[in-house]
Amino acid sequence: MYKTLLVARREYLFNLRRPAFLFAVFGVPLFICVIWFIIFAVMSASEANVDKIGAVGYVDEAGILANPLLPPDYSDLFVAFDSSEMARQALEARTIGAYMVLPPDYLKTGQVITYSYTGIPEALKDAIGELLTGTLSRRVAAQAPLERILDPVNLTVRVMDSGRVLTEANIPALFMLPMIFALLFVIAAGVTSGFLMSGVVEEKTNRIMEILVTSVTPIQLLGGKILGLGALGLTQIAVWMVAALVLLQVGQAAPFLAGITFPTDVAILLLVYFGLSYFLLASLQGGIGAVVGSEQESRQFASIISILWMTPFFFLPAFLEDPNGVIAVALTLIPFSSPLTALLRMGMSSVPNWQILLSLAILFVTTVAVTWASARVFRWGLLRYGKRFDLRDLLQAVRQPAGRAEGVTPVAAKEGVR
Amino acid sequence: MSQQVAIQAEHIVKNYGDFRAVDDLTFEVYAGEVFAMLGPNGSGKTTTMRMILDILKPDAGRIAVLGGPLNDAAKDRIGYLPEERGLYRNVRVLEMMVYLATLKGVPRAEAERRSLAILERLELSEYARKKVNELSKGMQQKIQFAVTVLHQPDLIIVDEPFSGLDPVNTLALKDLLMEFRAGGGTVVMSTHQMWQVEEMCDRLLMIHRGRQQLYGPVDDIRKRYALHAIIVEGQGDWAKLPGVQRVELTENGRRRALLHLQDAATPDEVLAAITAAPDMTIERFELAVPSLNDIFIRVVEEHR
Repeated sequence: MYKTLLVARREYLFNLRRPAFLFAVFGVPLFICVIWFIIFAVMSASEANVDKIGAVGYVDEAGILANPLLPPDYSDLFVAFDSSEMARQALEARTIGAYMVLPPDYLKTGQVITYSYTGIPEALKDAIGELLTGTLSRRVAAQAPLERILDPVNLTVRVMDSGRVLTEANIPALFMLPMIFALLFVIAAGVTSGFLMSGVVEEKTNRIMEILVTSVTPIQLLGGKILGLGALGLTQIAVWMVAALVLLQVGQAAPFLAGITFPTDVAILLLVYFGLSYFLLASLQGGIGAVVGSEQESRQFASIISILWMTPFFFLPAFLEDPNGVIAVALTLIPFSSPLTALLRMGMSSVPNWQILLSLAILFVTTVAVTWASARVFRWGLLRYGKRFDLRDLLQAVRQPAGRAEGVTPVAAKEGVR
Repeated sequence: MSQQVAIQAEHIVKNYGDFRAVDDLTFEVYAGEVFAMLGPNGSGKTTTMRMILDILKPDAGRIAVLGGPLNDAAKDRIGYLPEERGLYRNVRVLEMMVYLATLKGVPRAEAERRSLAILERLELSEYARKKVNELSKGMQQKIQFAVTVLHQPDLIIVDEPFSGLDPVNTLALKDLLMEFRAGGGTVVMSTHQMWQVEEMCDRLLMIHRGRQQLYGPVDDIRKRYALHAIIVEGQGDWAKLPGVQRVELTENGRRRALLHLQDAATPDEVLAAITAAPDMTIERFELAVPSLNDIFIRVVEEHR
């Protein structure tokens, strides 16, 4: 056990300093934050633009704005002109930033023509819409209050069982947050287990493996690597969670983040799923690393694994359409796709407990089986050089009693040929 | 010899599929000796070493190392320098040495102290904080040897320790090996340089195609292969000497001669006769013991 911890300590400290790891820890969240910031900067910039454009003139050829109902947010925005010529002169004199013309057949066509030197910001379209809807609604003898006609839907989403309540303003966050967490989580498990594979491949191609196996047993080596890199993955997640908490605290000021609390239930399940799937990935990649002969070959396997791993992202539309549909449930139960699927679905709707428990159970059994098989393959594969493995040898190694698992190694081929 | 046994191998066999790499080898390595494992490439040396180190399990036979089957505690008392060299590339020298030593059970602080000491000894102190891949091949090889002995093992197994080293580094490494031996350590080494075996090793095991060909003290083996002949350099009519059956002239026949002796004659009698003869001068007189190199080639040729 002591030697296992020594290996774990070394793997942790060595990989902690790797540029790839530092980038994954700090670069990825930074990247996401920057993107997020840009999106909202652009969005809020277009809101603010109504003020920038100044007053907006209107020429009412249709004769419906004689007694306009000015939208409360934009009460100073609109100025009436009697003719297009006068409005144009005002625009040229820059006393107004834009003007619109309601043609005589407006009521039939709904056509509104705007004139300006720059484009029309999105917010101005909203303001025009409010002006026209408000004014026209007076013609309908409606009992409904005006503000309901203007804003008929103010959505509050209650996600049953999870206890989270989201208002309309932070629905994007409802959707984004689990996505981001799922993405970070996949990166954490992927990056650290990838380190494990490349570490094994390096030790193998460097032949330092021969020295290592005379100091520690293959199981101590594999165990130490899994532990050390697992701790590294947890470090990564811890950094991100702290960053997320800080972001949410700071973000209470921003309307779209207001009222969102850190979803504790998702966070706990995230850790459980991370633990299991990390073990699954790490032992799988450890086994592969021990068997393949080169960095190149190992990368091919790594990409196959990450495709399996990322599959749920491809089915995102299906989840959105029907979060409890057949595809969603199936992917929740299949070991490789289950962690990501479960986390994505939990963000969107409530996932029945039996599905979560069953998916965790299946994942657990698979993880134990893969770890067991990998440990056997690991010993057998460590000192094989220069030969592509074939599946028959591999299965034989898994089936053979422990300790005899070295089987037919290419050492034989090497020594025999010379 | 009433020595302690460091390694005892009894009838060990190793097959790789249909190929028998090691075929019924039995040998002992005594504590405190330098033991050579010889044989052409592919003869089974490395496989035998790997079995001693428990990297491979023999298909038959048994091996006792340092008094019993190899367990974790015994592993800490063994150092191994594999033939295929390798180190972590992207790691600082000192850090790597300390890590590998701690895996052999040396406390961290002690491992660091010893690493620095041996680096100084090898005149590599300034590289302690450099990354391994910044070092030359020769330096890396010296560091690898340092790693092999850093945990002060009782037994080291070194597979072709001198391959690829220049003469200066070869000498440095040889000094380290002999120092290790002088401190009571046991060395098992394989090499293709026979003169090093003659110079350094006490006993040898020569394997060919997995089978034992020669086994025993180096001197005994050389004598066993000795001709009943002497090599002389000097002047005189060697054929006139009593006991000399036939004279074989070498080096243009002018100075050096190989004197084949009659069965009953001894080298001592011949030497006495030469010194007694007033018309003979002698500058060199030695037994015609073949070099290990010659023996090696002869054994391999015989079993071709």
